[in-house]
Amino acid sequence: MNQNKTLKDNITSIILGVLSIAWIYPVFMILFNSLKKETAISTGTAFQLPTSETLAGLANYVNALTSKGFLTAFWYSLVITLTSVVLILICCSMCAWFITRVNTWYSKALYYLFVFSMVVPFQMLMFTLSATADRLKLSSPYTICIIYLGFGAGLAVFMFCGFMKSIPIEIEEAAMIDGCSPLRTFFMVVLPILKPTLISVGILETMWLWNDYLLPYLVLDRTKGYMTIPILIQYFRGSFGKVEMGPMMASIMMNIIPIIIVYLLCQKHIIKGVAAGAVKG
Amino acid sequence: MKKTVARLLSLTVCAGMLTACGGGNSSAPASSGAADSGASASGASGAVYYLNFKPEADDAWQALAKAYTEETGVPVTVVTAASNTYEQQLMSEMAKSTPPTLFQVNGPVGLSNWKDYCYDLTGTDVMGELASESFALKDGDQILAIPYVNESYGIITNKTLLAKAGYAVEDIDSFDDLKKVAEDITTRKNELGFAAFSSAGMDGSSNWRYQTHLANMPIYFEYQDKGVGVSETIEGKYLDNYKAIFDLYINNSTCEPAALAGKTGDDSRNEFLAGEAVFYQNGSWEYSNLVGEGKPFTDDDLAMIPIYIGVGDEANQGLCDGTENYWCVNGAAKEEDIQATLDFMYWCVTSETGTKAMADDMGFVIPFKGAQESPNLFVRQDAAYSAAGKTPISWAFLTIPSQTWKDELASVLTAYAAGTGSWDDVKTQFVDGWASEYAALNG
Amino acid sequence: MEKALKKYWPFFVLPTFAAFVIGFIWPFLQGLYLSFCKFITIDRATFNGLKNYIFALTEPDFLHAFWFTALFTVVSTICINLAALAIALALTREIKGTNIFRSVFFMPNLIGGIVLGYIWQILFNCVLTLLGKPLLSLHAPYGFVGLVILMCWQQIGYMMIIYIAGLQSIPGDYLEAARIDGATERQILWKVKLPNLMPSITICTFLSLTNGFKLFDQNLALTGGDPAHKTEMLALNIYQTFYGRAGAQWKGYGQAKAVLFCILVLVISFCQLRATRSKEVQQ
Repeated sequence: MNQNKTLKDNITSIILGVLSIAWIYPVFMILFNSLKKETAISTGTAFQLPTSETLAGLANYVNALTSKGFLTAFWYSLVITLTSVVLILICCSMCAWFITRVNTWYSKALYYLFVFSMVVPFQMLMFTLSATADRLKLSSPYTICIIYLGFGAGLAVFMFCGFMKSIPIEIEEAAMIDGCSPLRTFFMVVLPILKPTLISVGILETMWLWNDYLLPYLVLDRTKGYMTIPILIQYFRGSFGKVEMGPMMASIMMNIIPIIIVYLLCQKHIIKGVAAGAVKG
Repeated sequence: MKKTVARLLSLTVCAGMLTACGGGNSSAPASSGAADSGASASGASGAVYYLNFKPEADDAWQALAKAYTEETGVPVTVVTAASNTYEQQLMSEMAKSTPPTLFQVNGPVGLSNWKDYCYDLTGTDVMGELASESFALKDGDQILAIPYVNESYGIITNKTLLAKAGYAVEDIDSFDDLKKVAEDITTRKNELGFAAFSSAGMDGSSNWRYQTHLANMPIYFEYQDKGVGVSETIEGKYLDNYKAIFDLYINNSTCEPAALAGKTGDDSRNEFLAGEAVFYQNGSWEYSNLVGEGKPFTDDDLAMIPIYIGVGDEANQGLCDGTENYWCVNGAAKEEDIQATLDFMYWCVTSETGTKAMADDMGFVIPFKGAQESPNLFVRQDAAYSAAGKTPISWAFLTIPSQTWKDELASVLTAYAAGTGSWDDVKTQFVDGWASEYAALNG
Repeated sequence: MEKALKKYWPFFVLPTFAAFVIGFIWPFLQGLYLSFCKFITIDRATFNGLKNYIFALTEPDFLHAFWFTALFTVVSTICINLAALAIALALTREIKGTNIFRSVFFMPNLIGGIVLGYIWQILFNCVLTLLGKPLLSLHAPYGFVGLVILMCWQQIGYMMIIYIAGLQSIPGDYLEAARIDGATERQILWKVKLPNLMPSITICTFLSLTNGFKLFDQNLALTGGDPAHKTEMLALNIYQTFYGRAGAQWKGYGQAKAVLFCILVLVISFCQLRATRSKEVQQ
């Protein structure tokens, strides 16, 4: 019986092993193709490893970095993601605390509005949202976080509310009775308790923001050359007058690598965050 | 107060642009414009924002805009849309708070979409410079769009290679001749080391050569038969000829027809430049990419011949002549911006720098009084054809109902070339698609 | 406490609410209004009645996009959830390398839709070329299969995590008791694990349903709707109507389609909500 079980486990291990190699193969394929010379990249040879003849070294990376605006796009992506996540975490957690602790018709109405906004597809607002952002001069990478705060508030508030309900109200009340103002209570008492939730929401929002394409594509002012990495990668297709696969794949890799590093560093938090977020969601 | 804010804003905007431009030479793929440092200091009131249609002339426009800013202090931003995305970009840019002040329409059909936004050019300086008022597009009494370039297209031929294959340009003056030469080159492809046609790439950067320019031929001849200049229905009488010429292109090409789906405009040009193909369908705007410093060709190597499809009086057929580049000034822009734009247009077509740039760098023949002689071989050839009494083919494709019609035609053509679709799909799209797109245009 | 907090609303609620008005409420209402208009720019919109909706509901491309999306959503939801559940069950058997496998399967989730689309486009086109078959953009069935595979690759890891969390939250006593009663592994799966997993299953089904319906980036990058709009899903169809067409009438059509799309997604979400509610009552 026991032997039988270990045999079964070994077979499962092997199957899963093969499957996970297949799972990372696409990324690996992009990696070695990005090291090939432009002329050696074609649809039929994507599976071939680079040979000494076709190996271009880091030429595609250098090309993408120096002449294709990758660094600018990377910087804008970083700025947008960081400012927006920080803004969303602070503002939405405060808002959620208010909603859960103040029991009036308008806090309830607000809560349902936020939930409603979570479900509405972006296409519904894409034109009017970008027009509004343009009118209010929010179409730069440094101000777009306000748009993200507005559009992303739904999910964040919803998740914070879910967690807040399970925090015992007594600690906060005790702090208030001791003479803390609500602001002080929030930052000194509530936020520390919320830390795991902050991490979960932060991770979900980061995953969304870093990869978001359509919103920045429509909102950012392209006449000033603002673009994020997904926009740049989409731009490689045809917009330079031809399809430059080499720099494109290099850019894809340079988009993925930071994600993978961050993922490996805080894997536990990410997986916990996703599980927690989904159970509440 | 408001003014200070505006000035501060424009300063930050300029600073933003400087950083965008400074980060590596023209790295920003959105080809951001050239509002230079002098602009804000001189306190000029208006600004120009030109949404340019021609990707191949982007560099030249950026340089010209910069020159203008240096000369006058008026900031000029030039943004160029990628192939086949002009209407899309114009739509989204026009909805912004700083819309383009100068934009383009491709002809009467394009104008009908935008006429509410066009400034009436009657009596403006630039209008006075137009060689003939009849070139302009009107709506009632209002002059809404003026062409800024005349162009021609045909089959660009590498005479040197053609001679190697044992033919001369003079041997070809009908579709049958072209077919005979092309098929002969194909049978001897290995021995000669080159193919007849450069790849008819169906990528977005190249497919306009077939879904628009080549599609012009059957439309033009059908219009000729009917004696009309525009029609909301098309019978597809000459679609068999369209098929014949397209088949000729794809079956006598540098690559297999199935591979065309992914071929780009650059691929096609590079093949031609590398001497891998004798024929290359394109237009006079292509000149600066083929001849000049660092380019392999001189004027003696090249010729442009008419596109023969086996219809009409082929012996007297000329090149395809016309323009799909009309300037419109955005009437919804701020007054000072409209004035700045008009001044910029006037400067482009009258000043030494402007006319020279348009003639030499962009290779344009401009329909204005101050036009400079163009060094463009193809332009001179076009004039020679006309002088010899040949009838130019007009650009009937200007009456194509929409970009969608073109895109869908390209899609079925690609499928046909790859062998996954049939010619009947092409016919359906050509005829039925035409009718339904016109219905949508009017609806 | 509530009273004190109420006074502080400008600090707590106002920033988020103001941004919410800018980023959601105002554009939403404006979008609703514009769906009844003909417009290129908002300030020049003219009222158009129900014409936009009539057009949207009768346009063959839009209807095709609807059925394509529906089919895609159903197929991908089934594939993703079955595979994710199977992997989750395997990974909760405490075999060697569980952590590595989990990390690997989850990884594609972190990659954005556009990037995913291009990665798979390169891969599929290579396979198809080697097999001598037409490329992805030329043959709609390949495009469909490609989208399903892509979505599986991306989503299985995510759903797997949820299922693992669900499985781990089943009290050990239940399983122990079942084993003592002599239940086989199969019986434990069907009678103990799956019923207790129902909340996770509903969540995952709902997530993959809405993800499928709202899919845009992957669709744009992988096939772009080629050939001839045959692989165009609802979100992309709306986008193309809106930004891909010249002429004043199209934006109104696009906005009307977007409203219909929005209603559709809302209905699905509402059904989901009721389903979860009723499940919770049962427990």
